[in-house]
Amino acid sequence: MTNIAWPRWLFWIVVIGFVAWDFAASAPVNLRLEPPIIAAGSGVPTSGGHCARPK
Amino acid sequence: MNTLAAPARSAAPPRPPNRWAHRLPLGLAVLTLFGWLLWSVSARQALLLLVGVGLGWGLAAARFGFTTGWRRLVEDRDPSGVYGQIILLALLAALSMPMLAHFPEVQAALGPPSVSLLVGAFVFGLCMQLADGCGSGTLYKAGLGVPLNMAVLPMFAIGSFLGAAHLNDWLALGALEPVGLVERLGAGGALAATLVALVALAIGVGRWSGQRFSLRRMPGRWVWGAVVLALFAALNLFIAGQSWGVVYGFGLWGAKAATVLGLFDPTANAFWSDPGHAERLHQTLLLDVTSITNIGILAGALWVVPSRPPSERSMNGGQWLIGLAAGFLLGYSSRLAFGCNVGAMVSGISTGSLHGWIWVPVAFLGTLIGVRLRRRFGF
Repeated sequence: MTNIAWPRWLFWIVVIGFVAWDFAASAPVNLRLEPPIIAAGSGVPTSGGHCARPK
Repeated sequence: MNTLAAPARSAAPPRPPNRWAHRLPLGLAVLTLFGWLLWSVSARQALLLLVGVGLGWGLAAARFGFTTGWRRLVEDRDPSGVYGQIILLALLAALSMPMLAHFPEVQAALGPPSVSLLVGAFVFGLCMQLADGCGSGTLYKAGLGVPLNMAVLPMFAIGSFLGAAHLNDWLALGALEPVGLVERLGAGGALAATLVALVALAIGVGRWSGQRFSLRRMPGRWVWGAVVLALFAALNLFIAGQSWGVVYGFGLWGAKAATVLGLFDPTANAFWSDPGHAERLHQTLLLDVTSITNIGILAGALWVVPSRPPSERSMNGGQWLIGLAAGFLLGYSSRLAFGCNVGAMVSGISTGSLHGWIWVPVAFLGTLIGVRLRRRFGF
């Protein structure tokens, strides 16, 4: 095991722990409101967040 | 010098790593997450996870570093990295602009030309040299296990969250409406204008560096890396309806953490109380487009680790402090600039946003100072 193996493990534990905690703490997923599989051609406007948008 | 250089030399030849002992469990983990997302969250998000894995693999396997490419141009007059980025922009524009014109659901990465864009792009270009990674670079190097970039990632998230929280105040300093070339010129006109501008940029870079653009002379990784990234970024646009982004996801993670810790009230903030952002704060980040591709990029880079193990470069305390502070400023400034090298430059230019064309020269000015500071601090 190299010297940088343990920080890498720690990093992934934090990432996975954060995602798991977030999933447990967030509102349940409503599958009936699932977005279209492919946005292009779906007729549903895109509503995701993006860093280029001012709002 | 690329900090992801080959493994350190030693007297005894290093034992070759067993790649599949690493990749098999990772592949199973990604497939399990894909299946679970498909069943329990959203088919779109499951597909976007795979898109992110492809992006992360392309970035890490090709070592497609935007920061390194710019630094090599400034320090060594080696334009190959910048040429690779120009190829990526041209290919992605050729794929994205017709898509934007054909599908009304698909949105360009339109950011407003503004005071905040100028400030943010300059600071970002400077700090990415100190943190040795831009938005995508921080992600894929963190996935590879580079210690500085793993530590920078949470700082990036905190900065991005605060930058978003302050964004409306920065916009009040002066901003124009976003300018979209596809809307104004149509797909053909916008693509022609973009390609002409990219050719002019390549000619300028060639004259300045003394090395004209030539596919034969370029290291192959910059060419195939550009092709892979363009294909997966175009898939991102097709599936998500929005272009590839990195920074919004970081800010969302920071906002979620700050809210839970009781440090932040999103209802009292103009940006985070906006209905769209407020909804994403309440729902799982697995439903957020940029968050899921960011997770995929981390996993895609992890796949590459056995063939490109990160170097164990040591840094002193001062360098760590500077790197972490630069990471925080990367996050903050990328929100002011309406994107990092991915959201503003790659996605902005390839979808015809004027703000991407403003971002590049201003960030490059910052990089000119950043590479000098990098030498000054002994990185």
